[in-house]
Amino acid sequence: MTTDSQLQAEKIYALQQSRVQKFRTGTTISLIILLVLLIVAFSGIDLTGMGIPFRTIQLDSAFMRENAAYIIQGLGDTIVLAIVSIFLAGALALLGALGRLSKFPPAYAIATFYVSLIRGTPLLLQLFFFFLALPQLGIRLNGWTAGVLALGINYGAYMSETFRAGIQSVGQGQREAALAIGMNQRQILTRVVLPQALRIIIPPFGNDFISMLKDTALVAATGFVHEVLWRANTVGRQKFKSMETLLIAALCYWAITIIFSALQTRLEAYLARGERGR
Amino acid sequence: MHVLKDISFDVAPAEVVCIIGPSGSGKSTMLRCLNFLEHPDIGTVEVDGLKVDVSLPARETAKTINQIRLRTGMVFQSFNLFPHMSALDNVIEGLVTVKRMDKNQAVEIGKSFLNKVGLATKFHEFPARLSGGQQQRVAIARAMAMQPRVMLFDEPTSALDPELIGEVLQVMQQLVEEGMTMLTVTHEMGFARKFAHRVFFMDAGRIIESGAPEQVFEHPQDQRTRLFLSAIEKKR
Repeated sequence: MTTDSQLQAEKIYALQQSRVQKFRTGTTISLIILLVLLIVAFSGIDLTGMGIPFRTIQLDSAFMRENAAYIIQGLGDTIVLAIVSIFLAGALALLGALGRLSKFPPAYAIATFYVSLIRGTPLLLQLFFFFLALPQLGIRLNGWTAGVLALGINYGAYMSETFRAGIQSVGQGQREAALAIGMNQRQILTRVVLPQALRIIIPPFGNDFISMLKDTALVAATGFVHEVLWRANTVGRQKFKSMETLLIAALCYWAITIIFSALQTRLEAYLARGERGR
Repeated sequence: MHVLKDISFDVAPAEVVCIIGPSGSGKSTMLRCLNFLEHPDIGTVEVDGLKVDVSLPARETAKTINQIRLRTGMVFQSFNLFPHMSALDNVIEGLVTVKRMDKNQAVEIGKSFLNKVGLATKFHEFPARLSGGQQQRVAIARAMAMQPRVMLFDEPTSALDPELIGEVLQVMQQLVEEGMTMLTVTHEMGFARKFAHRVFFMDAGRIIESGAPEQVFEHPQDQRTRLFLSAIEKKR
């Protein structure tokens, strides 16, 4: 009896595994086909000769080779801009979250006001405000400063809700246990609440960072930060070859997004492993 | 709405008080008033010579309240260990962070208290890998490491599987024998009968009856106490 049911269980398991395997293989093949189609679409091959009345997009490959390095070098600025801005955003998000959780009315009001105002207006407008409007008040910010401020303040407002949720996820019993051994509010926050809240906050924080990597492109609009999109636009417009340069830029953003997403997945797996031990 | 009414009592050093009563009677709330996890509206709380008039504004009482918390250890029904710290780190957290003790010295003290509660092999385990009984013993060690003058136990065995209750009660018995001043909210009538010097029966926010365990358990004066005790007898 036991061997029979064991055999059956093994059969069911094997069946499930083969289904999973089939799905994976199918997905991989489909992705490869999509990638090949994309490459063919931009290959410049004339399909009319093969009886298909369609001409793929012709790119100036010599021009692309010449300018690719220049555009790709913008990735340094893109990544640095995103990292500096995400740190500012994290700091503001923490303050915003603490404000939203505060029982002190002015702190709650300021945090609510900040989140509402920033989430209620476009990021590009905020960037222009720092770069183009503040000079009227005699405050001249360079493109970098304006970019970091706009990105940091904007993302900080969105992330403060995430931080708030993370902090609230730490049970009241934890605070009580900390109070009972004589901890003050600051010690409770730094030693007990934040370390536990971070486990909740880090995954969405990573998502926001990946999203910010691409929003740094908005800072190209200042004309003074020579990140990927600015370089692509500048070179492309000069020679009327924006198709080529924007494709290079797109591949740059796509590549770093894939890389950072993979890192993010590993980080989440690492955090989840700790979770299972709880 | 008043949760507690006319609560007034003194506890002598080394005295063991057990507080019993139906759920919702205010037992836990009363215990939590003693270290100000709940703030009473009126009255005074005095612990080890530190007196707080609760009607004074918070900024005047905050410092004394913190001192009282340092001299009272608390054990919770749901343990409330810090899940991101090992058993040993849980025990030394108060020593290092609050008392600013040297880390090595704190580790020595922490280990000796974990030894005392029978967890010498579990220093570096995280709470999630410990049983409920082990977690509660770590929690007792964490409270005791601060060398409190009074220990408050808030239903310390209510969240435990029946087979784990004994190991926690045994540690508590050890504290009784060492002469620790203890206030315990409990449903463990056996423990109360055996170790309490005084038993409070609470109902509807009042201490209805108080006295030696043999008196309260064998000759309850009040009808509500009799009803509660007979209900418990029936359950057995």
